[in-house]
Amino acid sequence: MAYPTATMDVIGLWIGWVLMLTIYSYPLYKENPVYRFSEHLYIAVMLAVNLVVNFSNVMRICVTPMMQGDFMMIVPLILGIMIYTMLIPEYRWVSRYPIAILVGAGFGLGIRGSIGPNIQDAIVSTITRPTDGVAMAWINFLYIAVGLICSVLYFLLTYEHSGALQAPTRIGRLFIMVALGAYFGNTVLFRFTMLTGRAQFFLQVLKLIPM
Amino acid sequence: MSQMLKREVVYAITGIVTVVMFLEYFFFPESQSWAEMIRTWSVIIYNISLGLGAVRLAMAHSMNVQRRRENWAFSGVLLAGLAIMLLTGLAGYFMTGQQTNNAIYNWMFVNVYTPLGATLYPITGFYIFSAAYRAFRARNIDAALMLIAGCFVILSNAPVGEAIWIGFATVGEWFRFTGQVPGMRTFALVGTLGMIAYGFRALLGKERGFYAGGEE
Amino acid sequence: MGFSLANIDRRVFYWILFIALMVPFLNPIGFPIKIAENTRDLYEGITGDSVEPGDVWIINFGYGVSAWSECHPGVTVCAKALLREGAHLILMGPHTDVELTYRHLLDTAKEDFDAATYGEDWVFLGYITGGESAIAQLASNMRSVYPTDHFATPLDDISMMQDVNTWHDVSGVLSSDTGDWGGYFLTMWQEAYGVPMAQIGIAMLGSTGIPRWLAGNYFGMSVGSRGGAELEMLIGEPGDAIIAMDSISVSHLLIVIAVILANVGLLLERGRGS
Repeated sequence: MAYPTATMDVIGLWIGWVLMLTIYSYPLYKENPVYRFSEHLYIAVMLAVNLVVNFSNVMRICVTPMMQGDFMMIVPLILGIMIYTMLIPEYRWVSRYPIAILVGAGFGLGIRGSIGPNIQDAIVSTITRPTDGVAMAWINFLYIAVGLICSVLYFLLTYEHSGALQAPTRIGRLFIMVALGAYFGNTVLFRFTMLTGRAQFFLQVLKLIPM
Repeated sequence: MSQMLKREVVYAITGIVTVVMFLEYFFFPESQSWAEMIRTWSVIIYNISLGLGAVRLAMAHSMNVQRRRENWAFSGVLLAGLAIMLLTGLAGYFMTGQQTNNAIYNWMFVNVYTPLGATLYPITGFYIFSAAYRAFRARNIDAALMLIAGCFVILSNAPVGEAIWIGFATVGEWFRFTGQVPGMRTFALVGTLGMIAYGFRALLGKERGFYAGGEE
Repeated sequence: MGFSLANIDRRVFYWILFIALMVPFLNPIGFPIKIAENTRDLYEGITGDSVEPGDVWIINFGYGVSAWSECHPGVTVCAKALLREGAHLILMGPHTDVELTYRHLLDTAKEDFDAATYGEDWVFLGYITGGESAIAQLASNMRSVYPTDHFATPLDDISMMQDVNTWHDVSGVLSSDTGDWGGYFLTMWQEAYGVPMAQIGIAMLGSTGIPRWLAGNYFGMSVGSRGGAELEMLIGEPGDAIIAMDSISVSHLLIVIAVILANVGLLLERGRGS
């Protein structure tokens, strides 16, 4: 994207730059009215965008087909509106019906879809021995196999982690800590990439680096 | 009868929908007409329900303004911003079929929503940094393992790690492709088992918290 | 001696970080970037013999404006690569700001999209929501969740969509995620129907996604902005991700130094205590 030339676009760019600094005034200085203003403004704009986009989507997939002859669409429309009875205490129970459909659909789809990749494929991949004879491949294979068994045992909460379970659950905990450490390492990349993007934007608006 | 409408019928609906989703996939994979209908309805219900949070928030902030509670002016800013964006967006939608065809809505979408949205979430990067020097201390072997794994992955994700010492990239890669695998697979596996157990409890009516007003 | 890092106002460190992030943009360093196997697999899965002209691919913009720097470079490269192979793209996303992301892609892959024709080479279906139900329904009947594209044109009036309505008609899915939507495509498309799938996710999804790549659920995976930089190297067109890598290097070095200093402080405290 090149640096904009149209007046309103340039004004918009600078307003965005100022708004960015108002948000960063919180960690870099302290909480202040300017930060709160921007925070509330963002919530307002985000909510409005949410409402407008979802409204237009409901029109597209429900209301318009209904007006074109698919009269069954009145059923989900009414069910969706029933969710708003949550706001009226004496009629809150009515909202359970659309929630029941959402929960049932989510659960039914979840069971049929999750077992494969999360359980079956994970176990098969763990117990599939390496095809090459390289020593490191076998060490890794054993590491993953032992690690998976011990880590799963750690989450076995029906029995106390004592006696025969004490050693494997302790080892499992160590494997879990390694995974959490790697997850933290990836989290750092994610968070700092976002910050980097803002640092880049800061310089681009000032024309210190090309946009 | 009233209690049955409020509880048993609700659980029955959940159970029937679950079974339909499950059975049609395995026994009638090519037709799935009932499952398709329920899924389409779910999508529409989901869409409509997303407005609930906005309505609640607007009600809460309206109350702040009405009663002149602390910081009520900011609630006023929120309501004003919400009203402007909502009205201009809906005007754009009804007049042209596209909300972004309204100039005001589009301008605020690009120049207010984008920078604010892109700026608020990265603030957590600052907090991770302060947590790094305050809290990430290897007080025991568990924490030490976590920090060692974390630091190697950090230095393998950034090109500077390899530039300093090739070992950072090599060991970091090991942590990424082997070291973390048992733990991550475990989370997925036990998470799925937990979801199945929780779902069956919900079907049997033992978990009622998410049915609004589960205490009834 | 009462001095410790914890006594220093944390705002000092925030300013150090904020300034340190900007310096590499003004004075680029250019550390070399090694390409990971998962990224190479992703690139090979969308180029060459893996893609035939006319193949239909779905690209899911499962990220909002806050994650543009993380996910968008990888998505840009993949969109360019697929268009150059003659594939047809279906662009969609579950975030309400998906239109902004779409416009941003038209900008970052401008030359390739200018050379292509809307409706013949790509279509933007727009916003989708509804979780797993929506993605499952997308696989069995696209027109029930997308009767029209984002611009209100009925799908039957769009030339590339006339024979496309179910998972049968799609050759592959690229999901770029910050959260759950890639998982929905995994369970409802890849697991259910065997549709090839790859993830161009945020770095945190690298932890959950690498085991899936190893198990064969994903044919490839790009991890965060580092993955985006690797993809830019593979396609031979440096972009935002490579430019940002120096800044990311500096920030990562700072955090490792912070962790080391914290632990040196801990050791000193223990030494003083004993």
